[in-house]
Amino acid sequence: MTVLTVALKYLRGRFVASALTSLSVALGVSLVIASGLLSRGIKQGFIEGTTDYSLLVGAKGSPTQLVLNVVFRMDVPTPNISYGTYRDLQDDPRVEVAVPVAMGDAFQGYRYVATTGGYFAALPWRRKTFAISQGRFFRDDPPEQPAYEAVLGADVARRTGLRVGDRFHEGEEMAEYPLTVVGILRSTDSADDRAIFISLASYWQMNEVSRKMQVKPLTAVLVRPKRMSDLAGLHRGFNVTAETQAVFPSAVLLNIFNVLSLVDEVLALLLVIVAIVVLLYLFVSMYSATLERKREIATMRALGARRATILGIVLLESCALAVIGGALGVAGGHGVAYLGASMLGGRGGPVANLFVVGALEPVVFGGAVALGALAGLLPAVLAYRTEVAENLAPLS
Amino acid sequence: MTEVPAAVALHGVKKAFPLGNGRSLDVLNIEHWSLPAGRCTVLTGPSGSGKTTLLNLIAGVSLPTAGTIAVHDTNISALPEPRRDRFRAQHIGYVFQTFNLLSAFTALENVMLSMMFAGAIPKPEQRRRAAEILARLGLGARLTHKPQQLSRGEQQRIAIARALANHPPLILADEPCASLDAGTAREVLHELLSVCREAGTTLLVVSHETAVLAAGDQVVDVTAINRPEYRVGAVERV
Repeated sequence: MTVLTVALKYLRGRFVASALTSLSVALGVSLVIASGLLSRGIKQGFIEGTTDYSLLVGAKGSPTQLVLNVVFRMDVPTPNISYGTYRDLQDDPRVEVAVPVAMGDAFQGYRYVATTGGYFAALPWRRKTFAISQGRFFRDDPPEQPAYEAVLGADVARRTGLRVGDRFHEGEEMAEYPLTVVGILRSTDSADDRAIFISLASYWQMNEVSRKMQVKPLTAVLVRPKRMSDLAGLHRGFNVTAETQAVFPSAVLLNIFNVLSLVDEVLALLLVIVAIVVLLYLFVSMYSATLERKREIATMRALGARRATILGIVLLESCALAVIGGALGVAGGHGVAYLGASMLGGRGGPVANLFVVGALEPVVFGGAVALGALAGLLPAVLAYRTEVAENLAPLS
Repeated sequence: MTEVPAAVALHGVKKAFPLGNGRSLDVLNIEHWSLPAGRCTVLTGPSGSGKTTLLNLIAGVSLPTAGTIAVHDTNISALPEPRRDRFRAQHIGYVFQTFNLLSAFTALENVMLSMMFAGAIPKPEQRRRAAEILARLGLGARLTHKPQQLSRGEQQRIAIARALANHPPLILADEPCASLDAGTAREVLHELLSVCREAGTTLLVVSHETAVLAAGDQVVDVTAINRPEYRVGAVERV
């Protein structure tokens, strides 16, 4: 027998109360872990999912909406810009690469992204690489001869069950012009996993069939200048016109992070309240347990237990409850975060891999154990100060 | 006739409980009293005459207001508290009227606990010795039972086994049969006396019961060893 086994025996002796107390600690810890992981995952998701193009040119309106829609496939699309804007950029001597993007309708909730093969190009300055896991990329077909070929993001293929060679369409009017899956992309851990890529020609033709649109619109153009010093000039040039705007995706991302940090602050306040509630619950549990067994404590003292031994038993009980609750909470928090991330991901939210163990888990776990020790301190002192003779008397 | 050495010797022992407002309740004032080693002494006296208080003083769970208490030549009341606790664990066994077993622990663990507090017996030996003592008291089949699963007689036997676990030279028993029916009380008393006599352990039993009084080597009325003015019970002083 050791002080630790005595503490654990006492916890087992009041199993229901101990289990409920540990559960309350576990709930608190899982809340902290889940919110921490999700917050980190969302930020990381934005960072990993952002474009590696320096400038985004789209229609006048909200820069955040433009970036959220074109880069992260969230929010509603901004108004269209003309194909001429893309042609002007292509001809601009300051521009190294310009890639047109048009956001279309959706199939089973996965948005059509019309672009050119340039979107997938591997260039020396690009962090993001696209690779085909099955099939091939679609052909850059001429506008008058759309091939209706589609390349699926990894998530789209997995969730819709579509395979290379399958044909699909959304809406009755498109039944005669189904898209054919010609390729499936490897996962990129970005919004591109949830996109269906088609050629601009196919997109325009689909618009003509379903909406009787004769124009050839774009949603945005991704731009990479030859020299970074030309960025400011390009930015200014597109912003002085009445129809277009140019935005730096990194600046918009900073704005999004600023908003997220406000949410983090509110969340931190809530988590402090949760920690206080858990601390109080643990304290009340330990305090009442100590009061209930003052006679047993006096008996142990009469048998020769030192005050420090009694103090240690009560403190260890409290810490053990926190350790059990903390461990369950860390595991539960990961589970809740996984569910939350799945729900967010299902709605197109950017969430990075949550299962990278960082400083959060050991810090929260250590914090829970420290809270356990703190909650057990007063009951332990109460037990330490138990007067032997007056508590040994027979119960009436 | 050879003189029996003293297991416990009290000199000028006083015990008063403060009542507040400068008043105190004086319970004991013993000029000199000694307990013969290896004998069974029954301590008797009316309620409130200080029997349990005297037991607690000898055990060192409370301290005298004045005087010295020597247990096997160690002035227990002068020891610092941690050493007094260790001394009590190793040298004194305590049997309570209501057994005071720890409800979260099995019979075996209750006995092992007192060995753990004494710290004198190696851990692997504790289980073996606890099982042996319990078997000796007829509880070999009850080792893994918790107190609430046992009869009152069995519970008091576990309490006796717990008191004997460290082979203490002195056992203090506060009304050990008061919570038992007459038949069980007789059995428990018989076992307590026989194990103590066999080991040469000094036994001090507080009791009013005639069976216990008859079984002791000597009977001491606490009012007889207290100073005359205390013999009618506790005295309140200002």
